[in-house]
Amino acid sequence: MSTLEFFLAGTFSAATIFLLAALGELVAEKSGVLNLSVEGMMAVSAAIGFLVTYETGNHLLGFAVAGVAGVLISLVFALTTITFLANQVASGLAVGILGLGLSALIGRDYESLTIPSTDGIQIPVLSEIPLIGPVLFQQNLVVYMTFLLAIIIGYTLKHTRLGLAIRSTGENPHAAQALGFPVFLIRYGCVAFGGLLAGFAGAYASTIYTPLWADGMIAGRGWIAVALVVFGTWKTGRIAFGALLFGMVSLGELIAQSMGASIPSQLLSSLPYIVTIVVLAIISTDKARMRLHSPFSLGETFDGTEGR
Amino acid sequence: MNSTSRKLPNALARTLTAIATAGCLFSTAASAEPLEIGVLLPSPIADVGWSHALNEGIAAVKEKYGDDVNVSTIENIQEGPDADRIMNKMIGDGQQFLLLGSFGYMNAGLKLAQRNPDRTFLHASGYKTAENFSPFTAKYYEGAYLMGMAAAELTKTKKLGVVSAFAIPELISTINGFTLGARSVDPEVTVDVIWINSWFDPAKAQDSAKALLAGGADVLFSNAQDTPSVVTVGEEAGAYVFNLNSSMKEYAPTKYLGVVKTDWAPFFVASVDAHLAGSFEGKNEWLGMNDNVVVVEDWSSDISADMKARIDAMHEEIASGARHVYDGPLMNQEGEEVIPSGERLEDGAILGMDWHVEGVNSPLPK
Repeated sequence: MSTLEFFLAGTFSAATIFLLAALGELVAEKSGVLNLSVEGMMAVSAAIGFLVTYETGNHLLGFAVAGVAGVLISLVFALTTITFLANQVASGLAVGILGLGLSALIGRDYESLTIPSTDGIQIPVLSEIPLIGPVLFQQNLVVYMTFLLAIIIGYTLKHTRLGLAIRSTGENPHAAQALGFPVFLIRYGCVAFGGLLAGFAGAYASTIYTPLWADGMIAGRGWIAVALVVFGTWKTGRIAFGALLFGMVSLGELIAQSMGASIPSQLLSSLPYIVTIVVLAIISTDKARMRLHSPFSLGETFDGTEGR
Repeated sequence: MNSTSRKLPNALARTLTAIATAGCLFSTAASAEPLEIGVLLPSPIADVGWSHALNEGIAAVKEKYGDDVNVSTIENIQEGPDADRIMNKMIGDGQQFLLLGSFGYMNAGLKLAQRNPDRTFLHASGYKTAENFSPFTAKYYEGAYLMGMAAAELTKTKKLGVVSAFAIPELISTINGFTLGARSVDPEVTVDVIWINSWFDPAKAQDSAKALLAGGADVLFSNAQDTPSVVTVGEEAGAYVFNLNSSMKEYAPTKYLGVVKTDWAPFFVASVDAHLAGSFEGKNEWLGMNDNVVVVEDWSSDISADMKARIDAMHEEIASGARHVYDGPLMNQEGEEVIPSGERLEDGAILGMDWHVEGVNSPLPK
């Protein structure tokens, strides 16, 4: 595999972690709930997903259990913010920190263990094409599923009744309730869906992308996913583009170094974060447009009473 | 006691005496209390890695002293306020002998040492000393030199790759030792380095290893990565791989080049001995093959008998002090002579190394 092939192929697999988690966060935010516990949910799911896959050798089971774990943690968050009306930012941070601690506890006896890595799918004929083959047609199944999921979520949010219900809940829960949408149920569902995808992202990180468990291995990727949602101005296409960009930047840094580029590696390491800040700053300069894209009631608690 | 017993009934007096005797017994026991040892580690104690190696050293102390020492270990403590608080608590709990297992524990640890002159402190990787505070580091470069010799024999592409944590002197001097060893066998060999700027990011470490392989390297060196991330990539890709601190052979059964292991047991035991004898002296402990702290083992069977003999001979020379890894002539990356033939790089220059030797392709981040 040449350096270029590795770079392009690796971009997709690196982007998958970001994209999975960001899609889940997108759905939660579209319903008006800002869940900052993505990093913690991913960590717990990564630990549990690894544990299950390690013990059973079954990747599918690992993914399933990790998804359930993500849902359970997100429900803790949903319960405090949606039912008990706690502040979303504070609760999200608290649940996230809880998740990080919990993941260390769960993974304690599995620290630094590894599982055999899985091969990508070889799509016949197409995977033989030079350059394009290894980049596009030899990826892991999860990579394809994730990008497919991005399309499905994008379509659902924009063109279906369910999407309308979610969006109106996020824009104005009072109006949504008046229209007869079950606001609480929708928000619970969206947060749980976010937990499910964060769980899958964690399992992907610990069983496929880097098939080992080490405490702290999520290493900030959950936060990048949260930033990606804003980066992509709550639009799936842009989020997918952002995820690829982040994957590219995080790999490009390593490749630039291996090729002897004389850019300080510390600067390169901080590039993904610098890009986030710059893009956020650019997007935010146009306040009107920012407000147009951001779910209007994002981060606000809703107690089910009429009007405001 | 006598005057009291005359006034009290006999039975009560007897009871009192019994209590007093029991008290005496208790206090004798107290004077022979076990030495309280506190251990603070930056990462979880896994089957492999840095904290594992330190823990093994402490296990040797336990084995030697048995019930005469009482070890309490606190693992996975990040450098910073949390660590400071726990260190303070250790002092409050009466721990007499503290092992601080990470560079970043240095300043808070030193302050405590100055405030508690009767306690003894060992501190990993640091450079500050006090009468009761000894930093300790391993001369990894000695072992890495031997690994370089083996790597130079086995490489076909004549390109070696290093995945490295932070550009600090300890790690830089290890990469340089590795490069010097490789080029002592084959001067055409060059070394690529990727700095991931993290002690702990397995995903990034694996991506870096793959990037190095894609760039043509066929031997990997996992420099100060605590997880088997790089080692497993080596095995899968069919590239020889070695690491520091503790053996990861089981993660790369066919492609494991060997390990530059640190065996802290002799040093820890000697330090506890000194503490108990009251002769502990705080000084910079820089330990290598000669001290049996740096141990190179688990050699790959693919290394030819000839090369193995050369490596063993070099091992002997370095351990005996007849040869030093940083004997001149030494050239830097720019091709300038740093140390002429016949001279040796000073210890201080190695401990503060901020340049790469000739043969390392990657520029050093500054």
